[in-house]
Amino acid sequence: MATMKDQQKEVANGAALASFLAAGIGAFAVGFFVIIHEAGLFSAPALYGPAGGVTGRTTFAAVTWLIGWAVLHSRWKDRQLESNRVYTATLVLTALGIVLSFPPVWRIFA
Amino acid sequence: MNALLAMDTRLFSDRSVWTMIHGIGLGGAALMALAAALFSLRAMRAADPSNSAMRESRYLAWLVVFAAAALWLTVLIGTFVSFPAYRATPPDGLTDLSQYPRSLLQSNPDTVWLHALAMEIKEHVPWIAAMLATAVAFVALRYRSRLLADMRLNSMATGLLGICFGLASIVGVLGIFVNKVAPLE
Repeated sequence: MATMKDQQKEVANGAALASFLAAGIGAFAVGFFVIIHEAGLFSAPALYGPAGGVTGRTTFAAVTWLIGWAVLHSRWKDRQLESNRVYTATLVLTALGIVLSFPPVWRIFA
Repeated sequence: MNALLAMDTRLFSDRSVWTMIHGIGLGGAALMALAAALFSLRAMRAADPSNSAMRESRYLAWLVVFAAAALWLTVLIGTFVSFPAYRATPPDGLTDLSQYPRSLLQSNPDTVWLHALAMEIKEHVPWIAAMLATAVAFVALRYRSRLLADMRLNSMATGLLGICFGLASIVGVLGIFVNKVAPLE
């Protein structure tokens, strides 16, 4: 017979919100590593020479996404959270990541 | 002689084949799977947690997993296989730039934007789409029928998958533009 805690784990939305917010963090990280490269502040090293710096920027962003996901998942997986704020944060971070990856925006920072 | 004949009659170069795998095979499959998953998320929402809903949610979960996997393969092949050939630097003095797509685009003021805008977007934005698809795939696998029964969870997943589909579609169209003007041959 399932205990109360098991039932709560089964229905808790924390793991879903952790994965959504982590994707938002990863999206923002893509834009962040692009814009600091374009602004001349930091260029992630090319991890595969023939493909150039994009391999460093995107790999750094992917690692940020995975670390963020692991941390959020470990903290939220069994919790029931208020979803609106987390989802809004996910959308805002994703939008920022997309905007910062848009070349005309780079001219503002370059 | 036979080898020479084989080379002459070969329809596509390796670079061209990889571009087709990247754009048409994997990218096209990802877009179709994303469209099907989006439709299913909306059409099957509020399903009763019955046995059939459990089965349908399992199919949906694997559909989103397939879309995410296809997107990741598209992104990785694009970044590590097609992009190096695209950005290769031609030898000094070369006038025929047809084997060097980036240089070819940059050599004509009318096509510079295809590199400066289209290709720059293609380098980064697909990674965002792949992350979003992975997040929804994880939720579809973990929550199964609850993803259909829980309206809030369903609408959040649909929203993120919709953004993912929009990004992948735009990037796909930009890829077609680039490949029409400066194909990897």
